[in-house]
Formats: sequence, structure tokens, C-alpha cells
Amino acid sequence: MRARLIRVWSIPAFLAVLLTGCAGNKSILDPAGRAAADVALVWWGMAGFFSLVLIMVVALGLYSFRRRSRPKLSALEEKRLARRFILGGGVLLPVATIGVLLIFGVPAGQRMLPVPLGTPPDVIQVTGHQWWWEVRYPGAEGGEVVTANQLVMPAGEPVDFHVTGADVIHSFWIPRLGGKIDMIPGHINRIRLEADSPGVFGAQCAEFCGTQHAHMQLYVEAMERSDYEAWLAERQAAKLETLAVQSDAHAPAREVFVEYCARCHRVAGLTVPDSQWELAPIQGPDLSDIGARPTLGAGVLAMEEGAIGYWLEHHQQLKPGNRMPAHLALEPPALQAIGDWLETLSP
Amino acid sequence: MNDSSQDSSRKTAPEDTRRFLEDLERVWANPRGLGALTIVNHTTVGLRFMLTGMAFFLVGGVLAMLIRSQLAFPGQNFMAPEIYNQVVTMHGTVMMFLFAIPILEGLAIYMIPKMIGARDLVCPRLSAFGYWCYLFGGLILLSSLFMEMAPSSGWFMYTPLSSKVYSPGLGSDFWLLGITFVEISALSAGVELVVSILRTRTQGMALHKMPLFAWYILAMAMMIVVGFPPLILGSVLLELERAVGMPFFDVAGGGDPILWQHLFWLFGHPEVYIIFLPGAGIVSTLIPVFAGRPIVGYGWAVFAVITTGFISFGLWVHHMFTVGMPQLAQTFFSAASMLVAVPTGIQIFLWLATLWLGKPRLQVPMLWIFGFLFVFVLGGLTGVMLALVPFNWQVHDTHFVVAHMHYVLVGGMFFPLIGGLYYWLPLFSGRMPSQTLGKWGFWLTFLGFNGTFLIMHWTGLLGMPRRVYTYGADEGWQLFNLISSVSSFLMAMGIAMILVDIMLHFRFGKPARQNPWNADTLEWATSMPPSPYNFVSLPKVETRHPLWEYPQLPRTIAEGRHGLAAAFHGRREIWGTDPLTGKLREVIHIPTNSWWPLFAALALAVVCISLLLRWYPLAGIAVLVAAGFLLRWSWENGAHPRAAPDTREQPGNPPLHSRTLDGPGVWTMAVALLANGAFFLSLLFGWFYLWTISPEWSMPPESPLSLTLLVLAGLASSAGWLWLERCVRRLRRRQGAGLAKGLYMISALGAVQLGLLVWVLVLAELDVTATAHDAVLMVSLVYVMLHTGFGAVLTLLQGLRVGYGYVGVEAPLEPVVVRLLWRYNLGVYWIVVVSLAVLPRMIGGTT
Amino acid sequence: MRQILWTHPINLVVGLTLWSVWFVAMYGGLSVVCAIAPPDPEQGPLTLLNAGLALLTLITVAFLAWLAWKCFHASQQTTMRAAHFCAIVSAGLYLASMVAVLFVGVPVLGLSPCV
Repeated sequence: MRARLIRVWSIPAFLAVLLTGCAGNKSILDPAGRAAADVALVWWGMAGFFSLVLIMVVALGLYSFRRRSRPKLSALEEKRLARRFILGGGVLLPVATIGVLLIFGVPAGQRMLPVPLGTPPDVIQVTGHQWWWEVRYPGAEGGEVVTANQLVMPAGEPVDFHVTGADVIHSFWIPRLGGKIDMIPGHINRIRLEADSPGVFGAQCAEFCGTQHAHMQLYVEAMERSDYEAWLAERQAAKLETLAVQSDAHAPAREVFVEYCARCHRVAGLTVPDSQWELAPIQGPDLSDIGARPTLGAGVLAMEEGAIGYWLEHHQQLKPGNRMPAHLALEPPALQAIGDWLETLSP
Repeated sequence: MNDSSQDSSRKTAPEDTRRFLEDLERVWANPRGLGALTIVNHTTVGLRFMLTGMAFFLVGGVLAMLIRSQLAFPGQNFMAPEIYNQVVTMHGTVMMFLFAIPILEGLAIYMIPKMIGARDLVCPRLSAFGYWCYLFGGLILLSSLFMEMAPSSGWFMYTPLSSKVYSPGLGSDFWLLGITFVEISALSAGVELVVSILRTRTQGMALHKMPLFAWYILAMAMMIVVGFPPLILGSVLLELERAVGMPFFDVAGGGDPILWQHLFWLFGHPEVYIIFLPGAGIVSTLIPVFAGRPIVGYGWAVFAVITTGFISFGLWVHHMFTVGMPQLAQTFFSAASMLVAVPTGIQIFLWLATLWLGKPRLQVPMLWIFGFLFVFVLGGLTGVMLALVPFNWQVHDTHFVVAHMHYVLVGGMFFPLIGGLYYWLPLFSGRMPSQTLGKWGFWLTFLGFNGTFLIMHWTGLLGMPRRVYTYGADEGWQLFNLISSVSSFLMAMGIAMILVDIMLHFRFGKPARQNPWNADTLEWATSMPPSPYNFVSLPKVETRHPLWEYPQLPRTIAEGRHGLAAAFHGRREIWGTDPLTGKLREVIHIPTNSWWPLFAALALAVVCISLLLRWYPLAGIAVLVAAGFLLRWSWENGAHPRAAPDTREQPGNPPLHSRTLDGPGVWTMAVALLANGAFFLSLLFGWFYLWTISPEWSMPPESPLSLTLLVLAGLASSAGWLWLERCVRRLRRRQGAGLAKGLYMISALGAVQLGLLVWVLVLAELDVTATAHDAVLMVSLVYVMLHTGFGAVLTLLQGLRVGYGYVGVEAPLEPVVVRLLWRYNLGVYWIVVVSLAVLPRMIGGTT
Repeated sequence: MRQILWTHPINLVVGLTLWSVWFVAMYGGLSVVCAIAPPDPEQGPLTLLNAGLALLTLITVAFLAWLAWKCFHASQQTTMRAAHFCAIVSAGLYLASMVAVLFVGVPVLGLSPCV
């Protein structure tokens, strides 16, 4: 009995110590937005109260074995005692608990609902693909901005995310900002999230979506409004188009890219024969600003010098089963050259 | 209880008793050798279910160990991602469909007749058939694992991931076909358990006097009957989409993947309670025995069981809180999910009150009940948390849910099951289990389990999604995963120890005395291990605690001093009693050993495999063969000489059931039609759901179904039904003239309806691969046509049976059974006509 | 004869069946209206849809209360043990169904229907 109590209590305490030491960036108990903070608060409240309930029930059960003095009760007294157990513990306790829980718990989700606001929040469209994220900013000044596997959002204001799935069902979830919402083909779901202040947050697909579900990570960064707008401005179509073709040194790599890669991957500014597009087997990430992205392969590799070339050579070992075919027709130097060129696509 | 006058009147000479016992042994004998495959007796079938379930449990356990090995350290390459996904999917599938449900069904099949004082279940051949379906379906499913082509889209098979495009192999087909096959066994067990509990309790056992375990199993069986059909429908539709290309769940064709989730969870949530209720039933059986007093609040327990059974059907959307539906709708389900805590709380507190007011003994079975109390209450509490929508949005699909689910299922089912296993071991074997090994097994399992899953809540809160095959070292999850993995091996050792204990006890266990735990229920009045007929004679029981109040009962039963103590007629007999009062109504003579269940299941296995391999002609032939076997099986029924070799009745006994108008067949048909109705309502739900919600739904402006022909077909069907009603009314008045001719004509009217429906289908020119609209129309029409054809064939056979003298004024039961089917068919038919052909004309289609 | 109506075991399942039907009607009605003609989210909970759902809830509650009373009354009248058991447990189940309807239905008063 004693030992069990110690175990029940000491584990959360022990964990809390560990949490501060080595938390990843996906803990819902380390909220960075008000919606997530509300939910974390609800969690601690529930965890505390329910631990008490659990201890009470188990203690009551154990004590019934240890009780030495058993007063002889008349049938009527027994009935009364039993009724007290059943009505008190079985009816009153749960009804009161769930009543309180609903009254205080349901409003905790209010903040994540896309209800109309005085000033409509920015909209970011996120589409889940097997196994990467397509992110679009339809409201950007000077035309829509498209990127992949990174999500930049303004901090300190609500943002509406409109999400859908391109192939199977995925789920959009930034744990430190708030709840998740499924990305379902044919449906557009909406959720409103807000980051309190600038920062970087982890995110990962939360609905099982196939072989590489584990490697479908999204890098989320919240910025001050001005930085956010500057970031968008750098990715205007006109700027990206010049970026892609500015250096002649990479012209051969560009040609190889157009021949082998451009069926699936768009790079702004590259002219691709129409016939190539028609053959496109599936859509791959837009690579127009890939050099500026923090990770490769939806979180498999960190972006550093030579990483893209390495990825192109080994991606089927690094992320087995991913939809990009192994590049058997191309020699490593050619892949490295493509990688070198892509790394320059950093606005 | 027995009044003594009745007792003395039954006193017979010793040689008569000996001859009676010989007759009884002969009539109920289980053949050996190859003939053992024909056994239909519930004791044998129940044991087969349980042993097979245990074997699948070990497979599922090995898969769990593989999962924990892979996740023990970050970035492991122990299994390739595709293999890991197969293992995860199969672990869930095996544990849910091949272990949890069947083993509990097996326990119920074994235990219920013994507890309610019957010699067997009411449809023994159906239980045998169910077992073969379970075994073959399970083996087919399992074989996929060894061929490395197991399903890999998670045990709830969300489409489009499980669709042809994203799961091109045979994996999803194995799942859909194999599970549907296995579910036939769940449904057949569900149907016959309901009827057995309601209609075959021993004399005097009124509804409020039956053991609580029977209430729990009654609720479970009813829930199976209503809860499994939605999944069967979903599986049929998804398999049709995969095999033929009917776009039920494909947005482009006007379908919707969310429909699958609704159908799956319409089954999936009740399933959790289908698993929990028998577990709770075991707890409610054991606690009074070890507390040495009756349960406190029997009526409250019944109240809680019924409430749980119903409310659990109103929670399915809490698995879908993140699919993006209106907040108000989510709140309905959130509130309903939390409400289920009330009946659960009532049960927990009435168990506590029973312990409190009794003098509890802490023996090995009770250890497991305590493990249950801790683990299940914890799981229930995290369940309440998960029902809260905003919290659910955070932890849904993380390891928090994995932890919660294992607490509820292992706590609510596995712990009570092992407790029950230890409790009933002396009944199975006649020997007592050891105390030391049993205690070790418990503590290792208990500590290992909590070490594995308590910490997993935390891993989930730190953001680890479920079903990832690996994770990064920088996520901060590694220590917790390592603790989980190490503990899981501890738990595996505990389970191994239990198995060793149980195996050793068959050899070294001390022989058990009669009623070793001093229990109150009738199963302990049988011999240990029980004979196939359980009771030599069937006592009159008017108390909830027969063995406490009449400890001499086992002896008087064995001496043949109670009811149905005659077997010279060669019939296997049980009482048919009134569902409410337990008053005697008829003597039910039940079928004996037979090859037909095995043959029918084998034919269905051929159907399953040939569908899997896309050998459609063979599948078609096998369907016909299976139907032939099933109809042949049905032929040896009622007044057929094989079913009732000798029609002499004992003086003073009620009539044989086949000579009445309300035999168990009527009840079985009614419960089966309830399941069928649940299937049909799910289909109707699918139709209206796609019509109103599906994003790309398209419907032709003019319904392709000819209303004139549909109405004509309906008139034919209505005329047939009216005629059949008239036949039954005349039978009731003992007028049998023209019965055969009438039945033939009714059958012909059914054939006319079928012909007209085929015409409707031909005229409609449905393009089933283009739109979900046409595909639903096709499925609905085929459903109606199958039923029409089935009704016509059964009526035709009835006509034939009149000619053979198996049906008539002396044996009027079967037309009553067929009449129920006709009523159902007619109701369903007109609903289909209104929903599919009339409503679209009124509201108008869109393109 | 009327006594039999209220002590019949069928009463054990009628209350919660009504609860289920009510539940499906609420959820189905809400989903269909939200899919076909959603009210303006600006209106908050004060919509015709909410009013309709609330009315349905009240009618169901009243009906279940009446059923509960009838069964309770019958349980006091009957002398047969099995019948008394059925009637009293049924009365409890009707009452529980009524509470369940109220509990699940209350959010209609405070939440926008289609957001």
C-alpha cells in the first residue's frame, strides 16, 4: 500500500525534473500560446483531482481488507451504508466532476475556433502530402507565396490555418501552440492558433499516414509582424525567379534538374517544357527557396553545406519508402551539383 | 427451490437411475478422433474459443514485444518502417478481434448455460459454426503476417490510406475479408447468447434472480448484435471500393473518407464496452464470493449495465474530435462520453461497498481484481479527460491515448479475465492452482504493466505521436520509451509465469473439492470438469444464491432428482422458460453433433480466400456451396426425425418447442434480424450522410430507378406477406389445409418481386465506378434482392417440408419464423423505395 | 391489464432507446442544417436551430419524466417480485435517460451551432 502510493506520487515529480532538463520542442506542457496554456492548465487540474480520486478508490478497497473491527450492522443499516456508497461515490462524485469539467473545460477550446473577428486574422494554407508539408500564404502582398516543410507565422496575433490533405489523411499539430486538426482530402478544416512571442516550435503529423509517418516534421517559426512581412516579401515570385537563374556556373545542374526533377518539383523561374508537367507522377515540394529552409526531407536532415547532395544520393536509406525515386540514373557528382545549385536558392 | 413432494415423486429405483445416466451419456457423448470435429457442445466449443484466443494473444504479445524493442532507443533500425507498420496494425487487430472478443465469447459460451442451469446453448451448431469461422478467419488474417503482406494502415484502417491507391498490396484485403469472416462468429455467439439467456434459464429463475454475470453477458451480446454490423457494412463497402472501384470513400467520386470513420467508430466505441462488460461481469461474480456476502445493490448493477450498454453507442465521435465538425456537435459527444462515467462509478462503488460490508479473503483471483480496480479506474479517469474536447485536441493520436487505451482494455478485460481464469480453473480441470507462482505472476504483470503504460501518458504529453516507427534523439522521449520497453518485458515474464502456473497445475495441482471457493452460482453444482450435459437433472431455482442456500444441490442434481431426468427418447433437452418469470413454457430439444457447421465454414473460407485472390468465379461457386450447406443444415430441424427422433413427451412436462408457435427459433430470428436491421440502418445512414455531407456528391436530376416497377415489386411482396400472415393465423387455429400450396404461391410472389427488381436494375444502367450515388444504389438494391431471394427460398423449403410432414398443424413453428423474415423484408423494402427513389424525386438531385 | 404495460421488461430498454433516437435526431439535425443552411456565426447561440434543438430536448425530457413516473407508480402497485423489479429498475432507467437528455442537451443554450 505504502509502496504503491510512493510510486504513484513520485513519478510525476521525477518527470517534472526531467522535463525542464531535456524537453524536446513538442511538449504540450511547455505552452507557447494561450490556447495551449489553457489546455495545460486544464490538464494539471484534472491530473491533480483525478489522482485524489484514484487514491481514494484504491485506499477504500484496500482498507476493506485490513479493517479489524467490523461492527455488526442490521440489514437496514447495511442498506443505508450501501446507498451512501452508491449515491455518493457512484452518482454524485462523477456527475459533479463531469459537470465542473464541462463548464471549465469547454471554454478552453474556444480560442482555437475560427469565429469571425473584428480584424480578420492572416490565413495560412497547409496541405499534407505523403510525407511532407506544403505551406501557402494566399494573402501575401504581391501574390501568393509557396513553400514547404517550414511554416513562418506572425507572433502575438491569431492566425487562421486552413488545412487539407492531398492524398491521405494527415493531421496538423503544433503542440506548444494548441490542438490538432485533421487534414482530410476534399475537406478544408480551420483552426486558429497564436504564438505569444517569437520562437521556434516543433510540429509533426499526428494522424498515421503511411510508411514515413514518423518523418513528417514541420519546422514552425513565429516572428514579429515586421520580420514576417519581410520574410514574405523576400519570397515574391519576381525575386525568386531571378534567384534561380542568376548564376551561370550552375547552368548544367539546372539542365539536369529540368530533365530529371522538374516533373515533380517546381522552382520559380525555371522554364519547363509542358510535356514534362503532363508526365508528373506526383507533386513534390516546391524548391524555390529551399536553400533557406532549416531542414531537409521534412525533418530528416539539418540543412548544412552539401546536405542536399547527400540527401539526393541517400534519401531512400535516410527516409525509406519516400515517394522520390532513387536517383540511379545520375552519378553522385551530378547529384552534388544539383545540390550545390539548390543551396543557392536562399532568398 | 424444490418442494419435497416433487422430490419424492421422482425417486426411482437404482437400476432406472443407472439406465437413465447411460442414456444421458449416450445422447450427449462427444465423439473422439476425426469425429471430434463435429462436436457442438458448448463446453467443448467454449474451451476451443478460449484456447484459440490464448494462442492469438501470444501472437499479439510477441508483436507488442517487437514494437517495444523498436521504440526502446531513438533512431533504431530493428525493423524497417513498412514491417513496423504491419506489426503495429496486426498487434491491434489480433488483440482486439482475435483475442479480446473471442476469448470473452468463449468464456460466456462455456459459462452461461452452467450459470443459468441449462445443459447447452440454444443453438449449439451455431456456436460450432461461429468457432470455425473464427478459426479460419483468424488463420487467414495471420497468414498475411508470415507472407510479409499484412495490413499496414493501422488497426482502424482509415481510408484513403487503406485504399487501393495508397495500399496497393493485399494487406487491406486480408484485414477487410478476414475480420468480416471473424465477425460472423461474434454475431452468431451474440445472437445465441441473447436467446439462451432470455429463454433457457432453468425453471423458476426469474429475470431478477439470474446471476449478474448473465446480465453482463446479455448486455454484451446485445451490443455485439447491434454494434458489429456497422463495421461489417464498412468493410464490405471498402472492399468493394478496393476490388471493383465503387467510390464510397473517394472524394472525387462523390464519396467521403469520413464515412468510414463514422462506420468504424460506430462499431469501435461500443466494442470497448463489449470487451469491458464481461470483465466487469467477472468482477461482479468474484467479489461477492470472496467477500462472502451477496452483492450490494443488484438492481443498481443491472441499471448500470443497461445504461452503459446504451450510452456507449452515443460516444463514437469522441474518436473523431479532430475531423473538424461543429463545436456544438462535439459537445454532445463530449457530454455523452463523460456520462458513461456514472454507471461505471456506480459499479465501482457497489463493488467497494460489497467488500466493505463483507469479510473479504485475499486469494490469487482477488489479487487480479485489485489490479483491475487500480488499472481500470486510472484508465477510466484518463478517459474522462479525453472526453474533454480541447484536451482531446492536444493528446489525440499521441502516446497518451495509447496509454489510456491499454489501461482501459488491459485493466477492464485482461485483469478480470485472468482473475476469472484462476477462479474457474478448478472447474476446467478439477485441480487448484498454486498460490506462489500465481502471486509472482500477478505482481510481475502488474508492475510491468504500470511501468510500461503509466509513463507512456507522459511520453504522449511530451508530444510523441502514436504509430511512429522511430523518433529523434533530440525529442526528449528516449528515457521514457526505454522505461516502457524494459517494463514491457517484465510484464511478458509475468504472463509467461501465469502460463507456466496454469500448465503445471493440470499435472501437479491439488485436486479441488466440490465448490472450492464456496461460491453461490450454479456452475459449481456441475462435476469438475463438467460433463457435456452439465446437469443430470435441472433444478428449480428461485434464489440468486442457490449454492449458498441449498448446499446439497450438487448431490440432488447428480442423483437426478430434478427436472428433465429422462433421456430414453434420444433428445438433447433443455427447459424453455418465460423470459420474465422463469415459468416453464416448453421443452427445447436441441440439435446434436454435425459436420454441417464445419463444412459451411470451410466453404466460406474458400469464398474469403478466392475473393482475396480475385478468383471471382470460384468465389461465386463457393458462395452457392456454402448456401447449400447452410440450407441442408437447416433442413434437419424442428420435426425432422434427426432433430427429434422420438416425439414422446414426458407426462407433466410442457410441449416440445417444435410443436409450439413461440419456440426459440422465433427469438433467434428476431435477434438476428436486429443485427440485420443495424446493418441496414448503417447503410441508410451512409446514403443520407453522403447525400448531405459529402463534398463532391453528385446525383442525377432524375432518379434512375423506375418508381412504377418498384411499386409493383412492393405490391407483390406485400401480397406474399399478407398471405403468409393468413397461413400462420390458420395454423394457430390448427387449420392446415392448403398450407403447402399457399407457401409455394408466396414463394412465387417473392420470385416475382425479385424479377421486377432485376428489371429495375437493368433499366437503371448504373455506373457504379463513376459516382458514389450509383454505387450506393447498387448496394442497396442488391441488399434488397438478396433478402427477397432468401425469403422466397425459405418459403419454398417450407412448402417442401409440409410435404414431408415436418411442418404442419402439429409442428407449426417454422412458418412463424419465416413470417418474421417477410415482415422485416417488407419494412426494409418500403424504406428503401422511399429513401432511394421517392425522396430524391421530391427534393431533387444535383449534379 | 394496464399494469402489465408498465411492468413489462421492455421498459428496461425503452428509455435509453428514446435517448438514442433523440441523440441521433440532435446530431443529425444539427449536421444537416449546418451542411445545407448554416446560420450566421455572428448570431451566436441565439438561432432558430438552437431553439428547435432545445424544444426537442424539452419535449423528450417531459416524455421521459412521465414514463419514469408511470413505472414508479406501477412498481408500488404490483405484488409480483419480478414485475416490481422490472418496474423499479425501468423507472430508474427512464430517470437516468431524462438526466442524460438534459445533460447532453444543455450546451444548446450556450454554443453557436455551426462553428
